[in-house]
Amino acid sequence: MTTPSERVTVRCTVNGRPGAHVVEARRSLADFLREDLGLTGTHVGCEHGVCGACTVLVDGRSARSCLLFAAQLDGRAVTTIEGLTPAEGLSPLQESFRVCHAMQCGFCTPGMIVTVTALLAEEPAPSTETIREAISGNLCMCTGYVNIVRAVEQAVAARPAEARA
Amino acid sequence: MSHEPGAGWVGRPVPLKEDARLVAGRGRFVDDLARPRMLHAAMLRSPHAHARIVAIDTREAAALPGVFAVLTGAEAAARSGPIRPLIPTTAAVPDYCLAVDRARYVGEPVAAVAAVDRATAEDALELIRVEYEALPAVVDPEAAIAPGATLLYPQLGTNVLWHDTLTYGPVDEALARADGVLRERFTIQRYASTPLETFGAIAEYDAGTDVFEFWTNDQRPGLTISVLAASLGVPQARVRLSCPDIGGGFGNKRRPAYLLTCALLARQSGRPVKWIEDRIENLTALMHACNGIMDVELAYRADGTVLALSVRDIADEGKNLITPAQHNLIKLGNIANGYRIPAVRYEAWSVLTNKCPSGANRGIGKPFMCFAIERAMALLARRLGLDPAELRQRNYVTAAQMPYTTPPGAQYDSGDYPATLRLALERFGYAARRNEQAAARNAGRLLGIGIATSVEPAGTNLASYEIVTGRRAASGSAEAAMVRMEPDGHVSVSLGDPPSGQGYETVLAQIVADELGLTPDAITVARGFDSTTTPWLYLSGNYSNKFSVTDVGAVVGAAARVRAKLLRIAAHRLEAAVADLELAGGAVAVRGAPDRRLGFAELARTAYADVLGLPPGEEPGLEARHAHQNSLAQPVDGDRRVRSQLVFSNAAHCCLVEVDPRTGLVKILKYLVVHDCGRELNPLIVEGMVHGATAHGIGAALLEEFRYDAQGQLLTSTFMDYLKPTSVDVPLIEVDRLEHPSPVTPLGAKGVGEGGAIPGPAAVANAVEDALAHLGVVVRSLPITPEQIWRWIR
Repeated sequence: MTTPSERVTVRCTVNGRPGAHVVEARRSLADFLREDLGLTGTHVGCEHGVCGACTVLVDGRSARSCLLFAAQLDGRAVTTIEGLTPAEGLSPLQESFRVCHAMQCGFCTPGMIVTVTALLAEEPAPSTETIREAISGNLCMCTGYVNIVRAVEQAVAARPAEARA
Repeated sequence: MSHEPGAGWVGRPVPLKEDARLVAGRGRFVDDLARPRMLHAAMLRSPHAHARIVAIDTREAAALPGVFAVLTGAEAAARSGPIRPLIPTTAAVPDYCLAVDRARYVGEPVAAVAAVDRATAEDALELIRVEYEALPAVVDPEAAIAPGATLLYPQLGTNVLWHDTLTYGPVDEALARADGVLRERFTIQRYASTPLETFGAIAEYDAGTDVFEFWTNDQRPGLTISVLAASLGVPQARVRLSCPDIGGGFGNKRRPAYLLTCALLARQSGRPVKWIEDRIENLTALMHACNGIMDVELAYRADGTVLALSVRDIADEGKNLITPAQHNLIKLGNIANGYRIPAVRYEAWSVLTNKCPSGANRGIGKPFMCFAIERAMALLARRLGLDPAELRQRNYVTAAQMPYTTPPGAQYDSGDYPATLRLALERFGYAARRNEQAAARNAGRLLGIGIATSVEPAGTNLASYEIVTGRRAASGSAEAAMVRMEPDGHVSVSLGDPPSGQGYETVLAQIVADELGLTPDAITVARGFDSTTTPWLYLSGNYSNKFSVTDVGAVVGAAARVRAKLLRIAAHRLEAAVADLELAGGAVAVRGAPDRRLGFAELARTAYADVLGLPPGEEPGLEARHAHQNSLAQPVDGDRRVRSQLVFSNAAHCCLVEVDPRTGLVKILKYLVVHDCGRELNPLIVEGMVHGATAHGIGAALLEEFRYDAQGQLLTSTFMDYLKPTSVDVPLIEVDRLEHPSPVTPLGAKGVGEGGAIPGPAAVANAVEDALAHLGVVVRSLPITPEQIWRWIR
C-alpha cells in the first residue's frame, strides 16, 4: 500500500520528451505539469473535474489533469497546450481563436484548445451542434461560447478538403 | 496591419494583442508566479454558520514537519488592525482577517497555516482542534430584521446596517389618483459570476526595509493598498502590489482579508507565502451577489402611462462589513430603468445574515432592479391587454428628452431607447415570432417570447455613500494613466486599472496610436498593474464599468501631453511653428515640406540623451501622466439626489424559449440583443462582452443559485450543484447595435461590460412566463428550475 506522501517514479513522455520523474503518490497530474515541469499553460479552475480548464491529451485523448494522479501517467504520453503550440507562431486552431477573439480573460482557453484538438482528431468536420456538445465540459465565464463556437467552425472551414473528409 | 497609420484605429475590430499569448497558454496568472523559498498557505474554515469559538489548539499542527507558521484569529487581531470598510457601519465592528471569537458564516476562515506545499498545509489543518459553541443562525433576511432576531454583532443591537426611505416626487398622490396600482413581490437568489481563475495572492515581507509586497489578482488595487497598509500599520509607501493577468473578475476578485492573512504568515515565517483559493472556497466564501426581496408598487393610468414607482428592497448582505448598502445605492442608478417615471420612492434595507459576504458582482444590484421593473412592466402589459413592447414605448424617455434626469438624480446622457426596441423587434422578427408562437401553441408546444430593456450605468460616484453614512469620505470617479515615449522612440502605456479580460492592451494601443499617428503594433501596453511603476489613485481599479468613463480620458490626456511635447521639441529642432507641424508615420514633419521631418527616435534621443537640443526650459524626458476625473460626478444634493453612476448605455433583449412540459426544461431558441454603448472603440471586444454578460444573465435566470438550508449550510458548493451555463445552455446570441456617442466621455464611448447581465434575467423570465401564462403562472423568483416549472404545470 502506497501512502499519499510516498514517492513513486513515473516514466512518461510529456510533449514528446520522455523522462523519469519522482513524485509524491498524491501529486495530481495538473500539479505535476505546472509545479514540477513548469508547464503553466494548463490551468486549474475547479479541482473537481467539472470546468475543463486543466484538460490535456493523454495518449491523444482528452483528460482532466486535476482528476488524474501523476503516477497514473507511467508509460503514457501527455500533450499540453505547450505541446500543441508550434515553435514559431500559432497552430491554425489557435490562430482561428485569436482572429475570432474566442476568449476574454484567456483562463479557459488552453483547455478549450486541447478539447477541440481531440474533437477534430476524431471528427474532422463536426456540425455546430457537435462542437457545442464537445466543449460542453469546458466552462467559459467570459464569452458565452459564441466566439468559441465561431472559431472552431472557422478553423474547420479553413482546413483543406481532404483534412475534413 | 496594413492600415495607413493615423487614419483612425479607434472604432476598428482590431484582433487582440493579448489573445496571441493566451491561446498559447502564455498568459501569466497569479498561480503561475513563484518566489524563491515560497511557502503555501491553507485556511481552516468554520463548518458552522454561526458559532462562538471557545478555544483553538494549534500545537499539533505547528509541530508537523514542513509547517512554518500557524495563525489563529486571536493572533491575527494582535498583529494587525481591523479591515477598513469602504462603507462604514454606524457603530464600529472590528473585522479582522480571521474570525476571532465568533464565526458568522460557513466557510469563514478561523485559522491559517503556511507550509512547504499546499498538501502539507492541508494536512496541518486537520491537526488544528477548534472548540465551537454553535449558535442559532439567522439565514432569512426578513427573519434577521424581526424583533428578537439572533444578532451577528450584539454590539450593533441590530442586524440592519442601513434602513432608509428616499422619496423623490409626489409618490403617495400618484398612488392615490392612479387608475390602478400593480403590486408584486419579487425575490432574487444569491449567485455569482465565478471567474474561472479563483482568487489568490503571494505575500512577501522584507524585514530589512519593512516592505510588504503582494502579487495578486485583486481587481481594485488602489483601495486594497490603502486597506492593507492601514491593517499592517505601515505607510502606503511600504506596500507594493502588482497584478499579473487576471482570469476574470466581474467584481468578485477582492478580499483584502486573504492578502492580510498571507502577509502575516509571511512575516511570521520569514518566507514568501502563496495562497490560491480552491473552487469550494470560492463558491462558499468569496463573494455572492446579494439575494433579496423587492416589493414593487407601480401606479399607472389606464393607457399604460406609469405615474409612480415605489419599491421596498431588502438586500441580504450575508456577513458583508466592507460594502454594506452598495447593492441598494447602485439600484438608485437604474430604478427608473429607461422610463419617464415622475415620482419614485425607494425604501432600502441592508441586512446582515449568517451567509457568505455579499459584494460586487457584474451589475451589483442592477440585475435585480431591472428584473423587478421589467417583470412589473410585463405583468402590467398583461393586465391592460397591451403588447409588452407597446407599453414600453409609451413610457420611454425619448431621444429628444436627453439629457434626462431621473427623480433620484441619475442623468441619462444620450441614446434612443424607443429606436433601440424598434430595431430589436425588427431584427427579432417580432410579429413573425408571435405567429410562430400561436402555431406552436395549437400544436401543443409551449413557446414564449420575452422582452426586457434596460439602461446600463457606467462609472461610479463614491459620493453616493454619503446617503448611507452621512459624511463624505471618498467621492467621484477617476483613473490615472501614463504614456511614455522611450529613449528609442517606442511608446509604452500603463493604466491604474488592471484588466481581467477586457482587452486593454489592444484598445489602449488603438487610442494612443490615433493620438500619436502610429499603428497599435508600435505601442506596448503594460500587462496588469504594478504600484511602483503604474500611476494610480485610491480610486484605481477594474470595477463599476468605468473604463469608458474615466480610463479612456486618462489615456487620451496622457497621450495628448506627449504629443504636445513632441511637437514643441520638433518645432525647436526644425525651426518651425508648432501650428505648421503634423504627426504621421512615426515622425513630425512640416506641413507641405515633407523633407523637413524628424523621426520619433530622433526626437526621443533629443529628449533623453541630447538634452542640450531641447527648447529652452523644456524638461528632459518624454513621458506624461494624466488622471481623468469625470465631471458628471457631483455631491449628494439637498434633496438627497445623487448620480451614483455616471454614463448610460442601453439595450433591448428579445428571446424565444420553449418549455418542455414533460421535463420542465427551458430551451432558448433565439436570443437577440440590440445595444447602444456609444462609440465602440473596438467592436470585436464590445460584441464579446455583450455575449458574455448575456450568458451571465441566462445563468442567473435558469441555473445558478447559492442555496442555503435553514441552518445556514451552503448546499451548492461545487460546480456539480452550483450550475454554470455551458455551451449547450447558451444559444447563439445575436447582436446588433445603435451608436449614440456619449457627450460626456472623451471618445464618446459608454459602458459595456455589465450590459447583458442586467436585462438578461428579466428577458428569460418574461419569456418563460409568456410560455406558461395560460396556466396562470407568474414568475416571481429566480432561478426558474425544471422542478419549479414541473410544479407549475402540475
